[in-house]
Amino acid sequence: MNRRKFIKQAGTVIGGTLASPYIMPSGLMSLSTTAPMAEHVVFVLFAGGVRQQESVLQQYLAGSQNENVEGNIMYNMLSGAPPADKIAYGRDDIQNNIIGAIPIDRILQTPLAEQGTLFPEVRFSKGGAGHYNGLSTGVSGNYELSQSLRARPASPTIFEYLRRHAGFKATDTWFVGVDIGGSRPLLNYSEHADYGRRYGGNFLAPLTTFGAPGMKHFMDFKNYHPETEWEIIREIRGFLNQNFSTEGLEIPHLYNTEEEAYQIREFVRSTFEKVKANNLILPPVNDNRDLKAIGYAVEVLQWFKPKMLVLDLSDIDVCHANFTAYLKNVHRADHGVGFLWREIQRIPEMQNNTIMIVMPEHGRDLAPNPIQDLNMWYAFDHSTGNLNTRRIFSLVVGPGVQGNLRVGSEANPVGDASDIVPTIADIFGIKQQVMDKGLLDPAAMSLFDRI
Amino acid sequence: MQISGKYFAIIILLAGSLSIVSCRRDVTVFGIDDLTILPINSEKNKPKTSAQYISVLYTNLFQRAIGPNDMLSAQKAIESIGDKQIAYDILVSKYMNDPTLVLPTNEEMRADPETFVRNTYTRFLIRQPTEAELAWMLNYITSRPNVTPELIYFSFATSNEHFHY
Repeated sequence: MNRRKFIKQAGTVIGGTLASPYIMPSGLMSLSTTAPMAEHVVFVLFAGGVRQQESVLQQYLAGSQNENVEGNIMYNMLSGAPPADKIAYGRDDIQNNIIGAIPIDRILQTPLAEQGTLFPEVRFSKGGAGHYNGLSTGVSGNYELSQSLRARPASPTIFEYLRRHAGFKATDTWFVGVDIGGSRPLLNYSEHADYGRRYGGNFLAPLTTFGAPGMKHFMDFKNYHPETEWEIIREIRGFLNQNFSTEGLEIPHLYNTEEEAYQIREFVRSTFEKVKANNLILPPVNDNRDLKAIGYAVEVLQWFKPKMLVLDLSDIDVCHANFTAYLKNVHRADHGVGFLWREIQRIPEMQNNTIMIVMPEHGRDLAPNPIQDLNMWYAFDHSTGNLNTRRIFSLVVGPGVQGNLRVGSEANPVGDASDIVPTIADIFGIKQQVMDKGLLDPAAMSLFDRI
Repeated sequence: MQISGKYFAIIILLAGSLSIVSCRRDVTVFGIDDLTILPINSEKNKPKTSAQYISVLYTNLFQRAIGPNDMLSAQKAIESIGDKQIAYDILVSKYMNDPTLVLPTNEEMRADPETFVRNTYTRFLIRQPTEAELAWMLNYITSRPNVTPELIYFSFATSNEHFHY
């Protein structure tokens, strides 16, 4: 194809995209809705507060412990050679009794930063660097500056935007939390009067659901026949609920349809069977909670093929008291993200049709606290007001995303933690509708518009 | 003694006057105060916390209190699933597999369905059924041989009214 013909055809396609209404999955048609860039999005909140120094800057010990050893311990995500000395981030060498001496093999031959676009200097620009603030900003696109920790976000979440404006059903949207702490179960929908539970995403904390609490109270739950016994339950319960007519007083459900509720119950039952058979999908190395949560997230992806899944990881937060464990968990979080991307490509419906976004919820302090670990390395907190906590990165990879592109630098930061919601809205073609609601942080914009 | 016509007329006149005065009746006007009629379950307008719901549910199903450790782990399990209707459905399904569950037999229910329905309303909803509710439930039970006490208990346990107080 010659250049003139290519430009003409490309112009026709782009013009058609801009001018033509897109019919959403719900059957609704909107002039402000454009064709999606991809059918699926996976957003990883990575992974409990990570410093730029040990991630994109690849300083290893040089940026923290005054030891002249640099290198990349996130080689599934970032390009760069690993450290050559003082290896403490890998698996333990039990034979020689050396902690973290064996680096985990890379999963991806091409790092994600080369497959996609890296924004190496993004800013968590407002509020304190707390986990709830970080997570809620990630899913709502707004900083909750005056909100208590045990409350739902005041601004709508991406789940609500997608269900309301793109017509997604409940099981199209999932928040997989690493646990039930930190108000994670409150992040699947907001308190906003125009959105809320009616448009909430499904939430799962699999390490609890399939851990000791779930084994005690859920595992081997009775399997009622869907067309006979469940039909009776639905009829009687429907009669009772009809008589309890006070508006809005209902068990707080998420408007999953009967079929979706059945699928969720069957997913829980099936996953328990895998747990019992020790047959879960897990990363090759799975010796922390994050990696097990990633395995469960892949189970959710395989079962539901959701249009959007948010996954949060948190093991990096051991950095409050143990820098060596922090390095190991940064390395493992990278391992898990590489595994996640590989598994997404193994799901036919999601292969080459999924955009993945990775962003830490916030950074960590520049200066250490007084706690030393077994290597005599100092630990780091994430303190309110510390500028280093505001330094994060964003990585976007998938169809339509330019590869091997870096946007921004330390001298010229590009991107904000509130950008992910409009970016996902952009991917699914509802950016303008979301922006027009005026409920995002004023600084928020699609990362694609920042390139 | 003879009474003259003049005196007779006066006596008649006095008697007539007295009878008119003494027969006047007090007039009482009855009125009706405005009253808002609400369904009998309308005062249940507060959702139970997960701890309250699990505690009441467990007691209703097992006729004994749940232990503190079981309560804590049940709360965690419920919190780990976003859609609480689904979470509670799974929890109740699990409890229905417990051999210590206290449940009337199908024979007992069908031998005296009205007593069964009244007891079930009392157990789960802390009230008697209305006549309409009773009629619907009795018709449902008698017209469907596959309906069991277990399925009825499940439905009551996971109904919206059972979740409120």
